[in-house]
Formats: sequence, structure tokens, C-alpha cells
Amino acid sequence: MTPRNNPPKPCEHLLDYKLKQGINGYKSLQKFLRTTPNGRSSLEKPDTKVPTCDSCNGYRGRFYFCLVCSSILCSDHVVVHNRSCKGHDVAVDVQRAELYCMVCCDQVYDPDFDRAVMSKHIVDFRDVESDGKSIGERLCKRKRSVCGGVVVTGQLRDSKGPKELVLMRDLRAKSCYPLGLRGLNNLGNTCFMNSVLQAMLHAPPLRSYFLTNQHNRETCRKRSADRLCLPCDIDDIFSAAFSGDRSPYSPAQFLYRSALQHFFPISNVIFDNGIWLNEHLFKAIMDIICGWWQHSADLASYEQQDAHEFFISLLDGIHEKEGKIKNRNRENGDCQCIAHRGFSGLLRSDVTCMTCGFTSTTYDPYVDISLNLDTSNHSMIDVGKKPIKPNESSSTSTLLGCLDLFTRPEKLGSDQKLYCQNCQERQDSSKQMSIRRLPLVLCLHIKRFEHSLIRKMSRKIDSYLHFPFSLDMTPYLSSSIVRNRFGNRIFAFEGDESDISTEFEILAVVTHSGTLESGHYVTYLRLRNQWYKCDDAWITEVDEGIVRASQCYMMFYVQKMLYNKANENLSHLKTSSKEEAFHRVAGFC
Amino acid sequence: MSNEDNLSPHAQLSSHFFGDLLDSIIVDVASECHRIARLGLDRNLEEEEEEMRLSAQARLRVADPSNSSEANGKYIVDIFGQSHPSVASEIFECMNCSRSVMAGKFAPHLEKCMGKGRKARLKVTRSSTAAQNRNSRGSPASAYPPYSNSTSTSRLSNGSSSVAGEEYSNGVFEDP
Repeated sequence: MTPRNNPPKPCEHLLDYKLKQGINGYKSLQKFLRTTPNGRSSLEKPDTKVPTCDSCNGYRGRFYFCLVCSSILCSDHVVVHNRSCKGHDVAVDVQRAELYCMVCCDQVYDPDFDRAVMSKHIVDFRDVESDGKSIGERLCKRKRSVCGGVVVTGQLRDSKGPKELVLMRDLRAKSCYPLGLRGLNNLGNTCFMNSVLQAMLHAPPLRSYFLTNQHNRETCRKRSADRLCLPCDIDDIFSAAFSGDRSPYSPAQFLYRSALQHFFPISNVIFDNGIWLNEHLFKAIMDIICGWWQHSADLASYEQQDAHEFFISLLDGIHEKEGKIKNRNRENGDCQCIAHRGFSGLLRSDVTCMTCGFTSTTYDPYVDISLNLDTSNHSMIDVGKKPIKPNESSSTSTLLGCLDLFTRPEKLGSDQKLYCQNCQERQDSSKQMSIRRLPLVLCLHIKRFEHSLIRKMSRKIDSYLHFPFSLDMTPYLSSSIVRNRFGNRIFAFEGDESDISTEFEILAVVTHSGTLESGHYVTYLRLRNQWYKCDDAWITEVDEGIVRASQCYMMFYVQKMLYNKANENLSHLKTSSKEEAFHRVAGFC
Repeated sequence: MSNEDNLSPHAQLSSHFFGDLLDSIIVDVASECHRIARLGLDRNLEEEEEEMRLSAQARLRVADPSNSSEANGKYIVDIFGQSHPSVASEIFECMNCSRSVMAGKFAPHLEKCMGKGRKARLKVTRSSTAAQNRNSRGSPASAYPPYSNSTSTSRLSNGSSSVAGEEYSNGVFEDP
């Protein structure tokens, strides 16, 4: 999609009209403009419910409101009117509130007109009590149980002078495989962990952060014999991966320390809160907690073996340690821990009353977006977005289709009536999600595992999902979604920032194959335009076709500019203070 | 569409209404698409079609059994010229019990070894140090609570734990 930032050029007749009348005609129309709860605007004169043509008194066909003389004409007589009355060139389609040039016989566009339509709509709700904050400007920090209710800006602040790292590379090396490419041994069904670690090792913000020693292991106060520090453990993994040693690395220490974290603090919390437990209840709880790597198809434990869950816990662990230090000097505002700086964005949720159209907006941070598969052909209704194709492509699920599904308005059930501040009562509502802010690294998670607690069953959805290597997120931004809700008017909808970078390039794909009980995770990495397959200890080169055909589970997209920059840097990573951690491996390719 | 002249006036009228409704809908759709196209909001269909073609092609190639075994996970050497056994054979010392463990069996080993490392007795009392160890952010409902920052007696490194004097057993690794 190449959205224009400039509105389309007006025809000479519209230009003429604007020269003579300016926006007065639009303003005087405002009192007749009505917008339905689902965003469609039309002209409605209160006295005449059914528009009739001033020429023929007919009620059939399309009706146009002449902007010069205010007469209403049906489609049969609009041309006649234009020919007989000189200068009466521009009209408004009554049903859709669209400008129509009677000379060109075509729909025309004027940002001033669209603004008049939208301002009227906004004004209609202006008096609705909304805690003193205007519609769409409310920032609601909701606590998210995993990552805390903090918000980040999408820009990675230039770290004040990270020490340049200089890694002496053996230039006799026959081939220059990207640094940091190293297999990870499977320690016993730990591919869920390995696959995510591989993606993290090459995610630009994280990679720069750890390789430039921004988490200083020597001075880390959290680390001691008794204390555990997840960022330190991650730092160890980075050092190992970028050491130049290409033999597979066993993240055993990492596994052990992560296990400790999960085994003990939860029980600490239980005791700390003075919860009195009987023996059986305690055993039951510990069963669940300690089932972190139980190999059964037990629901509770499987969730912990899920690569996505591991990813979330990894980021959360980094935030826990880094968040406090990094945010010490800020009162409010975005979390500066590397996990959030790299992965966090903001989601917008609009709940619209279906009776009056009043919309209530809230914002929530995210570190990843979980998408349902669009398994059915839903393009029948989406006009202008996807054509209906008779061949097989219409039945293939696509990532864009999943994103469409994610941002589609969803009618909430009648058992979920929400309170509308305008109507002052509970009404049927519809909800729509959109993306207010994009992160540097966008993690998209496909919900392939369905767990039903009621039926105590889980199943995996194996459907193939097509995903692009280059992704433009523009249509899913809040500005685009909200604009589309109002018929794509030319108007500066809240959140309309043309400087937001929306182009992404795929960095890593975590794939899952097999069944729920016995499956295997593999990560494909794209470094310097070459795809590498990271299958535990095995790193191999693969053709992009293999990646396209794979069953994607989590996809990591990186902002295009950052991705291109990172690719350049792969060949010249420089390190200084960390020299002792890097080993030269001569001729090891 | 049947010959209109043969229809009764009633049917003709409904036919007209239907025609009007249909026209209205068609113009509606056309107007919407017109705006989308003019404002450059439509999707690049050629690009999308090309993507679908590439992926269909790729899937066919992968499904073809005569193709390389790479896709099936059978490897001979990796890009560094190395070969690896199906179960990782590196040997190292377990951090918990100091025994020698094979890498590929480390996780199941830890499962047992961390379980047995706990004290077997279960002693549960109300804790009076409720607020003391709470992290400012954490809530009990969080699935991944923070490390304990307390200076109390918790020892995390050697597999046994005591918090504020309580000890507990881990029922997991014993057969029910």
C-alpha cells in the first residue's frame, strides 16, 4: 500500500467553487450532517424524511444537494440542472455525504469538506462527560499481568556513547558467517527455549545492548552467590554465541537458573502473603508450579513449554531486573528497560455504542500481538480491501488476513452490554482494536494451540499461514483503522503521525512441527539476506522457499531501517572491554 | 430475469423496488472503492498475488519427495562442517548436585535432582513477614513473579529453600 500524504487534485470545477465560496457552503451544511454509529455520514434535512427531486418530485434514484442553490436533484435531473444553471457544478451525494462534480460526473474530494463532516461528528459528542479528557486522548495505563502497565515510545533512544566493541576477526577465515551464529544444544525437550533464544540473539536492539556491555556483569548488584539475575544469564548466552566458537553451546546454566526462579519465588510469594495452606492444597499448587518442564500433555505444564510463553517470561524477567534501575529517574512515562525499548508498543481499543455511536478509547501496552488464524474466506464483506479470487489463494490463510481479523470491529454479545456515557445506559457495543504505536521489533504470535479448560483438551491448528518477508503495518495503525471507520475521510485522525515507521523486514521465524504432545521448534534466521535454519545444535543454510513453506508460529519483524543497519554491522562488530570474553577461532568456518 | 411485461403489476412494483435497492447498493460500493483508490489506500494487489504465488511454489517444492532432505531435518554437516548426535553428548557438571550429566539429558535430570534436593517435611504457618519481601510491582497472580529481594533466609543456589523459617516438600517428583 502506498498511501498518499497529499489529497487527490481537485477538478477545475471544484477549484472554482472553492475560490468563490470557500468553505461557507460546507459549514452551512453541517447542521444537516448525520453520522451513524458505524461511521457512515449522510445529509438529512429534518423536515423532509424522504428526499424528493425539486425538478420532478421523484423519490427514486440517487439524490444530490446542489451546493450553490441548495436544491435537491435526483440522478435523472442532476445533469440537466448543471447545464441550465451556470456555475452550479458541485453537489453533495445525500446518502453518503460525498462531493460530486456535476460536470465531470465523478466523485471528487476536498479535505475541507471531510473536515467539516468529521468536526460535526466530534462536536456531537463533545459534551459527553469523559473525565475531562477528550475522545482518543485518554491514556489509560492498564496493568498487564505479565509485563506491567508501562508504555514506551517506539524510538530507541541513542544510548549515550556505548563503548565501541572491537572484535578481532580472523580474516583468514574462509567464509564470513555472521557473528553470533551458533547452535544450541537441546537439553531434553528444550527446543522451545532454544528457538526463542536464537531469535533474541539477533534482534538488533537486544544484540546491541548486550554486546555493548550495557548490562555490566561485573558490577551487577543483583548478582551474587544467592541472587539470580536473568539479564546476567542472558549476557552469558550472548557472550557465548558471539565468542567465535562455533561448536554448539549448552545453555545449561541458563536453564538451571531459570528453573530456580520458577521453583522458588512463587512459593516465597505464597508464604510471604501469609496464606495458610493445608498439605494437599500446597502439593497441588507445587505440582502446577514445578511442572515447568514436565513432559506430559498436562495443560498447565504445556503452557510453560510453549515458546511464546517462554518469550514473554524472558522479557518479563529482563524488565524485572532492569526496569527499576533504568526508570529510577523517571516518574512516569515509558519503561527504559531493553525489553520494552525493543519490543513494546501500544494497542488502542475502541468500544463504540451501537445506538448513538459514542466511542470510548483505551490504550494498552504490548510486547507481542497474538493473532487468531483467519481460516475462513472472510473477504466477501471487505470491499476495496481484498477481491474475491476464485482460485486457491482465497482459501489460504495469510498474515495480513489475520491482522485484518485482529483489527476488525467485533460486535460484543448482548450479554456484554457496556455502559454508554452518552446514552447513559447499557447498550450493545462493538469493539475494534488497532495499533497506536509500533515497536522496533514486532513479535507476531499465531495462536495455534487451543486449550479448553472446560473440556480439558488441547489441540493444535496445523493450517498453513502465508507470511510476507516485508510487512507494511500502515493499514493496522490506529489512524488508518479510525479513518476507515469514518469512510476514509481526509482528516487528521488522532495518532496520524506520518513519521511513524511502518515498514518491517522479517528477521526470524519460529516454527513448530508435529503434534501438541510431541512437537519440535525450529527457528529460521535471516541474516545478510541469507536464511539460516537453527535446529538446536544444527545451523544450516536454507533456501527462502523452505522458510515460506514452513509452519510459522512466531514471527519477528524488525523496522526496516534498523534491520538494514544491523545487517551492515554484522560484519564489523567491534568490541574492546569485553575482549577476554571473546575467543579467536582461527579458520573456523 | 423474466420478461417484465408478463409480470403482474404487483410483481413489477417489487421488481422496481429491488432494482432501486440494488442500484443504491452498487453505487454505495462504487463510491467507497472510488475513494479508497483515489486516496491511495488500496492494497498492492500485484504484490500480494506474487507473494501467494511464491508461497504456493515453495510448498509444492517442499512437498516433493525427490527434493533434498534438508527440509526433513536430516543433516550430514552443518555450515561449520560439524556433525552432531541426536542427543547432545557434551558432558558437564550439574549445578545442583555436582554430578556429571550429559547435555541432552540435563533437563530431565534437573527435574529429579531439584525435586529431591528439597526437605521432605512440610511445615506451614502463617507468615508475619507478609509485606517485607514483596516486590513493589509483583502481585501473587502474576505467573512470573520477581526474585525475592529479601534479606531473609532464602537460599536459592543450592536447591533447598527456606523462607522465613518455613520448609516445604515438593510433591511433584514423587509418584502420586
